This record gives sequence, C-alpha cells and structure tokens, in this order.
Amino acid sequence: MLYIKCPYCGIRAQTEFAYGGDATVKRPELNKEITDKEWDEFVYLRKSLRGKHLEFWHHISGCRQWFKVQRDTTTHEIFKTLKPHEEL
Amino acid sequence: MKNISPLNNIHQIGKYGDFQNVKDHQIIKIKEIKNIFIYQLVKFKNSSKKNSDLSIQSLSFPNILEVNAKNDLRILWMGPNNWLIFSSKNIYEELNKNFSMNEFAVTDISHSRSIIELEGLNVKEVLKKGSPFDIESLKQNNCTNTIYNGITITVDCVDQDLNKIRIISLRSFGESLYHSIADGCLEYGYEGT
Repeated sequence: MLYIKCPYCGIRAQTEFAYGGDATVKRPELNKEITDKEWDEFVYLRKSLRGKHLEFWHHISGCRQWFKVQRDTTTHEIFKTLKPHEEL
Repeated sequence: MKNISPLNNIHQIGKYGDFQNVKDHQIIKIKEIKNIFIYQLVKFKNSSKKNSDLSIQSLSFPNILEVNAKNDLRILWMGPNNWLIFSSKNIYEELNKNFSMNEFAVTDISHSRSIIELEGLNVKEVLKKGSPFDIESLKQNNCTNTIYNGITITVDCVDQDLNKIRIISLRSFGESLYHSIADGCLEYGYEGT
C-alpha cells in the first residue's frame, strides 16, 4: 500500500485519497485570447511521464483538502507533498 | 415530529458474539448516540478572525486532529478552518449570533450523521480490522477522519482510560457501518446498550 503524507493530517494510507491529475498544467490566463489548439491542449493533452511527476491528490476521506505530491511514476516513491499554493 | 434515529432498525439491546468466554468487564459495549445536535462550522477564506480567537460558550476551538470538550459540548477538528460541534442543546441561534454569516457558514447537520459509541478493552482491535489509520496513536480528545471497510468515518477518542471511542459516519452509511463494527466485535463478545 502506498503511504502519502497529507500536509494537514500527516501520513495516511492511499485508500483515504483520490488521485486528481497532473499538477503542472496551468490554466490559460483569464480574458486572454487563446487558440482552439491551446485550449484543446489544456483540456485534453497530458504527458505520460516516466519518473518524477507532480500531481494533485485529494484527501477525500480525511481533511478533504487538495494538495500536490511529487511522485516517481515508476517506483511510486514519494519525494515531497505540498499545499496547493506552494511551489517546489 | 418524532425523530427516528439512524440505527433504530438495527441496534439491539443484549449480548452477542463470544461473550460467554470473556469476563464481563472485557465485553465491548456498543451504544448509539442519538438526540444530539451537530453543527458544521466553516471559516471563509476572507475571514479576518484568527482560529485561536474563536470560541463558543468560552470553549476555544481545537487544533489539528484534536477535540476540545466541556460538559456536553465537543468541538472536533475536521480540516483546515472546518469544525464539527456536538451539543446536547440546540445552540444554532447562539452560533449564528457569534459567527457572522459573512465570515462563517454554520450548518445544522444533526439529522445527517449516525454515531456509534464503543467502549471496552478491545475497541482499538476492532477498529484496526477495518481502518488503515494508526489507531494506537489516538489519545484522549484526539479525532481523525479515516475509513472503515471503505466507509468514510470520523473517529473521536472520548476517554482513553475507558477505551471509549465514538465513530461518526454519514447517516446513510450508518446501518452498513454498524454491521461491519458488530462483525468485528463478535470474537470479543459485545453488548448492545
């Protein structure tokens, strides 16, 4: 079982969490003119990285907070967890 | 209108499981906590109030994974800027008066939770059967949200010496959770009180 350190509650089992997707994707700026291709890339295109990856997780059966996890997609090793507004 | 408790159809008084092979004081006691008022208090992001300044009936608000309790009032930490308040009296008006609706959301959720109280030597063993949380780290007046056999629950350690723990779940999961808990208690013997 994977153990994830919630920045609010501490180390918990993976079963308490839900995966929330890639945390490196940035939403286009508000009111900025963007092409359909850029919008399509933001909504649909995701990299399938091998190695270190920054992702969102939701402590859905705990404090109900979203946070970021830096995880190795090959080994599942977790390097760091951050609050959503924090940067690596 | 008469309130029907969430476990009305399932919780029964009497001794069950392997109670004949254990001493009386070792039997796990299962009790439903009902007719209690439950309020959710959420502080908005734009609030200028500090958490350390918040109080109700001169009881301050707890820190992370803690419970502050006084007489018949218990305040549980649920998450950042989010608390559950348990009271035997209706304090909805008082909460609304003390916590401005521009900075806080107060919601009466008394009818949406079921509460099972377990007491006995082996209570922690029962919880270990279904929850991945490190139950042994739970001290008096600690609380946490976790899961029990896939059901999201809140665990509230009421009394460490008596091994008295309350398990709070959504009302709709109450019966299913009760089945799981009762199953876990069978080998130790349990008494519905």
